[in-house]
Amino acid sequence: MPKTQFLDPAELRKPGKIVFEDIPVNAYKKTITQEKKSYSNDDFMRIFRDMTYLREFETMLNSIKTQGGYNGLEHTYPGPAHLSIGQEAAAVGQAYLLTKDDFTFGSHRSHGEILAKALSCIEKLSDKELMKIMEEFLGGKTLKAAQSLYKGSSVKELATYFILYGTVSEIFARETGFHLGLGGSMHAFFLPFGIYPNNAIVGGSAPIATGAALYKKCNLKKGVIVANAGDGSLGCGPVWESFHFAVMDQHKQLWEKGKNGGMPILYHFNNNGYGMGGQTRGETMGYDMLARVGAGMNPEQMHAERIDGFSPLAVIDAYRRKLDILKKGDGPVLLDCVTYRFSGHSTSDANAYREKEELDAWMAADPLITYRADLVKANVAKDADFDTIWETTRDVITKVTRLAADPEKSPYISFVKTPGIVESMMFSNEKVQSFGDRKPEVLAPMKDCSRVKQIAGKERFAYKNGKPVSKIKAYNYRDALFEAVIEKYYEDATLISYGEDVREWGGAFAVYRGLSEVIPYSRLFNSPISEAAIVGTGVGYALCGGRVIVELMYADFMGRAGDEIFNQMAKWQAMSAGILKMPVILRVSVGSKYGAQHSQDWVALPAHIPGLKVCFPATPWEAKGLMTTALNGTDPVVFFESQRLYDVAEEFNEGGVPAESYEIEIGDVNKLRDGGDVTILTIGATLYQAVKAADILKEKHGLSAEIINLHSMVPLNYEKILASVQKTGRVVLASDACARGSFLNDIARNIGELAFDYLDAPPVVVGAQNWITPPFEFDADFFPQESWILDAINEKIVPLQGHVPAVSNYAPVEQLRRAKAGV
Amino acid sequence: MAVGVLMPQAGISVESCIITEWLKKPGDNIDVGDILFSYETDKASFECESTAAGTLLEIFFEDGDEVPVLINVCAVGNIGEDASALRPSGEAPAGGGEAAPAEAARSAAADASAAEVSPAPAAIAQINSGEMKISPRAKNLAASQSVDARLASPTGPYGRVIERDVRKLMEQGGASTSAAFGVVSAAAPGSFTGTGIGGKVSVNDLDAAYAAVPASAPDAPGYRDAAFTGIRRAISKSMTVSLSTIPQLTHTFSFDATEIMSFRTQLKEKGEGLGLPNITLNDMILYAVSRTLPKYPELNAHMLDGNNIRYFKDVHLGIAVDTERGLLVPVLKHANRKSLSQIAVESKALAKAAQGGSLPIDDMQGGTFTISNLGVFGVESFTPVINPPQTGILGVNAITSRPREINGEIKLYPAMGLSLTYDHRAIDGAPVSRFGKELCESLASFRLLLV
Repeated sequence: MPKTQFLDPAELRKPGKIVFEDIPVNAYKKTITQEKKSYSNDDFMRIFRDMTYLREFETMLNSIKTQGGYNGLEHTYPGPAHLSIGQEAAAVGQAYLLTKDDFTFGSHRSHGEILAKALSCIEKLSDKELMKIMEEFLGGKTLKAAQSLYKGSSVKELATYFILYGTVSEIFARETGFHLGLGGSMHAFFLPFGIYPNNAIVGGSAPIATGAALYKKCNLKKGVIVANAGDGSLGCGPVWESFHFAVMDQHKQLWEKGKNGGMPILYHFNNNGYGMGGQTRGETMGYDMLARVGAGMNPEQMHAERIDGFSPLAVIDAYRRKLDILKKGDGPVLLDCVTYRFSGHSTSDANAYREKEELDAWMAADPLITYRADLVKANVAKDADFDTIWETTRDVITKVTRLAADPEKSPYISFVKTPGIVESMMFSNEKVQSFGDRKPEVLAPMKDCSRVKQIAGKERFAYKNGKPVSKIKAYNYRDALFEAVIEKYYEDATLISYGEDVREWGGAFAVYRGLSEVIPYSRLFNSPISEAAIVGTGVGYALCGGRVIVELMYADFMGRAGDEIFNQMAKWQAMSAGILKMPVILRVSVGSKYGAQHSQDWVALPAHIPGLKVCFPATPWEAKGLMTTALNGTDPVVFFESQRLYDVAEEFNEGGVPAESYEIEIGDVNKLRDGGDVTILTIGATLYQAVKAADILKEKHGLSAEIINLHSMVPLNYEKILASVQKTGRVVLASDACARGSFLNDIARNIGELAFDYLDAPPVVVGAQNWITPPFEFDADFFPQESWILDAINEKIVPLQGHVPAVSNYAPVEQLRRAKAGV
Repeated sequence: MAVGVLMPQAGISVESCIITEWLKKPGDNIDVGDILFSYETDKASFECESTAAGTLLEIFFEDGDEVPVLINVCAVGNIGEDASALRPSGEAPAGGGEAAPAEAARSAAADASAAEVSPAPAAIAQINSGEMKISPRAKNLAASQSVDARLASPTGPYGRVIERDVRKLMEQGGASTSAAFGVVSAAAPGSFTGTGIGGKVSVNDLDAAYAAVPASAPDAPGYRDAAFTGIRRAISKSMTVSLSTIPQLTHTFSFDATEIMSFRTQLKEKGEGLGLPNITLNDMILYAVSRTLPKYPELNAHMLDGNNIRYFKDVHLGIAVDTERGLLVPVLKHANRKSLSQIAVESKALAKAAQGGSLPIDDMQGGTFTISNLGVFGVESFTPVINPPQTGILGVNAITSRPREINGEIKLYPAMGLSLTYDHRAIDGAPVSRFGKELCESLASFRLLLV
C-alpha cells in the first residue's frame, strides 16, 4: 500500500473498455535464401548438427530403455527418460542466441534444452574459457573422461564430448555425472554454461526461474532468464503465480532508479499439445491458443506470441526480438512455441491418446528432414554433407554412451566406500556473512531508522530491580527479529525480503515496522498473494547466489506453497551434489485467535522433510540469536514464530538480549530452569504454560521441574536433553501442535530409546487436541494449558497428591478411544 | 435405582468370605459381569462379577474384610443416588473412621502396625505372581544399591514402583541380606538399621533391633499381632480338632526303593518317546496306595462321630500341597480306577491349580485318605496329623542309604521311609501294620503291581 499512489475514485469509476493488441501467431515467413544475410552456411549447418546431437542422444536413451541397448552396446537403465524427440528445433532455436550469462531452467523433459544451450555456449566461448571451465569442474574428472574419448586438438570438439558424456553419466546416475548422478535425468544442469536445473515437478521451474530473474534484477547482473515448461504446466497455480510476480507494476512504477523495469524473464512453453496424455487444446484447457494467456497478465500482454517450434529459424527470430525487449527492461515475455513430440510422455507411454495418422503428419514435418531439404534447396550444402554430420553424431554418441555405461570407467558413487556421501550434502552448513559484491543499497544510515532509535530506549530484560518492565518499554520478540534482520541488511547487499504486506505494514505482525524508512523498494517489497511464488522465487534467488527472507504470514499458508517448500527449497542442495546453496529463510507465524485455518503449529511438516532446517524461538534472546545464525548460514531454514509471543520480553536470559550481534546454534536447546524431579521440554509458546506448571509443581507438590525449550527441531542435538532426562528420569513434552504426528513424538521416541534405563516413567507428549482449532474463546479447551501438563504428570509419570484433573484426560482408555475414533 | 451387590456364597458350607482386593473404585462405571473384587474362602479364591450396571456408588467393606455371604458388599446405581439404605446394618462407609465388625477384635495397636506394613506384602505378592511393575530407573537404582525392590511400596501410576519408592526404601534401610530378607520384608519399612556391607540389614541388625526396641521405643512394640484369615484359619481349626479329638498314632516303615528309582530313571529316559507323562516317585506311591487301600476299608473311611463310620467304595486321595497361602489338600477322585499315567497328570494339575489359587472348591472336598510328602525336604520321619473326618494319613519321607547283609556281605541300598498315622477308633495296630507291609512290598517290586 504505497502512499505515493492514489486510488482515484473518479478515475476508477469512469466508463471505458479494455483494448487488447493482436497476438502474433506463427508470423515468421522468411526463406533460407532471405536469411542468408543473417546466417553463414556454417551457422545453418551447425544448427542442423546441434539438432542431430539432440535427436541421437534421445534415440540412444529410447533404445536403451526399450531395447536394452544401443548401437551394439548392451545396457539397461532403470530411471526415468522423458524424451523430447521431435522438439529439437525449439531447443536449438532457443539456445542459439543465449550466452552463459543467460540462465535457462528446464522441465522434466529438458535433455534437449540442456544440450542445445551447452552446444551454443561451446560455440561462443573461447578455447581458454572452455578449458578453464572443464578443468575446474568436479576436479577435472569429467574432462579426463572426455579426453579419453577425443584425442584431437579442437577444444570445442573436446567440450562437445565433455558435455555429452557429463549429461549421459548424470542420467545413468554415475559419479562422473554433472552432479555425481544424484540429480539424474529430471534434475540435470551445468551452471558454468548458465544451464540451471531441470525440474521433475510440472511447472516447478516457473517460480524458481522467476526468482533467478529477481536475482539478476536486484543484483544488477547481466543476462536474462528462460523458464522452460510444457503446455500442460499452464494448469498449475505456481506458474500463474510466477506470472503475477513477474508482471507486478512495482517493478516499473515503484522500484528505485537503476533497478526499475520489467523482469528479465522469458517463459518458454514448448507446446507439444499434450500434458502427458491430456490434450491441452480441445480437452484439458480452454485457452484455444496458449499465447492468449499473456493478454490477461499486463498491458504489455507479456509480449506473448505463438511461434513455429518446428522451424529453428522461426524460433531464433522470435528470441532475437524478445531478448531485445527483455534487455530494454520491458519483460516478462511469454512464448507459445508450437512443437510435437514423436516419442511418448515417457518410454512406458503406449500412445493410447493419439492416432498414428497424427504422428505421421508431424513426422513428415520433422525439422531434421524439412530443414535439411530447405538447406539443400537453397544450396547451403549437398545432401551427402548431412549424412556425414549424422555419421559423426552417431559415432560421438556411441562413444560417450559406451564410456558412461562402463561401470569401471564411470562408476556409481559408492555408499560402501563413502557411506556419508549424500548425508554430507543435505546441508552446506557454511557461514557466509555476505554474498554481496558491492556496498548494500540503503536509503539512510541505520541509526536514522525510527525503530532503531525506539529500540535503543527499551529495557532489554523483562525485569528491572526485580520489578517487571512495562510492555511498552520492554524490548520484545519482534524487536529481536527486527534487530537481526536490519543488521544483515547493512552487511549483505544481496539480502532481500518480501512477502505479503512486509513493507509499510512491516508484515502483518509489524516485525519489519520502520524498515521501509531505510531499505529501498527492491530489497523490501510486498508480493502478490502468491505463496507458491513467494517461496519458489526465494529458492531461485538463493540458488543464483543471493540471500533472501521470504514470509508467509501464517504457518497455515505453507500448504499453499507445499511443493516449493518440500520439493524445491528442501532438495536442491543435495540433488545438486552440493553445487547449489540455499540461503533462504522462510518466516512463518503460528497464529492465535483466528480459528482453524490460522492457528496451527506445523513444525512437524518441514521437520519431516529431509533438507530443511527448522527452528522456533520462544524468547527474544532465542529469536535474535537464531535469526542471526540463519542469516549467516547457507542452508534453507523454516523459521517459525508465534503470534502469542511477539510482545513478550526476555525473562530468562540474565542480562536480557545483548545489543550486539550473536549467534545461537541451530540444533542447540535452551535450558531455562534447573530442576531435579521432572524435565519439561517445550516447543513454541507452550513454554509459558510449562513455566506456570513448574511453579505449581514446586509450590503444591514439592517437585522441581527442569524446563528446556527446544528452539530447534532440525538439526537437534540431544545431548542436553538426555543429560536432563538422565538426571530427572521423567519427561513431559509439550507444544501447541496437535498431538497426533507432533514432532514431539519423534523426540519422545528418541528419549525412550536413548535414555530407557534412566526413565522412571514413559516420556509423555502433551499436544493440542486432534481437532480443528475452535474459536479463541475455547483456547483452553484446545491448546495445552499448565493444568494439562500437570494432568499428564499425574496420570502417567508420578501421581500428584491432591491434584484435581482438568479437562484433559490422559488415562490409557481415553487415549485408546481417541486413537480409535481418529480424534 | 441403586441396587446392592451381594457377597456370593461360594459353596454350601461357606459362611463368610474375605475380600482380597477391590478392582473397582467408587465412581467407576460398571457393567453386569464386570469383575468387582476378588475374594477368598479358607479353601479357594474367586472373583465377584457385578450383578448390576451403573456407577459404583459406595463400597461397604474394604480389602481384607471378612464379609458374611449374601449381604450387600457395595451399591451400584446412578451418580448422586443415596445408597445408605443398602448398607448392611452397622457398617460404616468403607474407609471411614469406625472399625468394621470383622476387625473389631483386633487391638488398636495391632491395627496401627498392620496399617503401616500393609504395602510391603502387597509388593511381594506382585513379584511372586510375576507382575511387579517397576520403572527401568527404579530397577537400576535398586540393582546398583543392592536394594530388594520387592520391598518398595509402589506409588507410581498403575501400581508401578518408581525411583522415589526405591529411594524411600533405602532411607528406611530397605536393603537386607538374604538371610534377613524374610523378617525385613514382613516388617514396617525402617524397622531396622543396616550395618552390613553397603548398609544392608543383616541378621545381627535384627537382633540389635529387637533388643533395642523395648528400652528405646516403648510406643512401638517389638512384635506384631495379626488375625488369621482364610486358609490359615481353616488349618488352625482343623488341626486343633484332629489332635484334641482323635486318638491317633503313627507307625513307620521303610522299603527298598531300588526298583521304583530305576523305574523312574527308565521313565525319565524313555517315557517321553513312548508318549508318557512325567511320572514321579510320588505318583508311584499314590498309585500303590490307591491299589492297596481297598483291601483295608477302615483306612478309607470317614468317622461320622465317635460311634459311626462310613466306608468308601472308591479311593479319593487327598494330596497335601504347600502353597503361598498355606497348606491345601486337593483331592484326586477315584484314584483306584485311574492308571499310573492318569494319576501322574491329574495330581500335577491339581497341585498346580492349588498353587495358582484357582482350585475349584469341589476339588478340595471328599477326600478319604491323605498323602503328605515331606521327603523332598529331607525329612526322615515325622508324625502326620489326620485331616478329619478321615481315618488315615500317609507321610512320605526321604530316601536314605541303609546297610543290609546279603550272603554275608554288608551292602547299601536306598530305603524310603513311610509314616502312617491312623485313628485307633477305626482300626487297630495289626491291620495297619499289614497294610504298611503290603504297601512296602508293592512299592519294592513296583513293576509287578502294574501287571
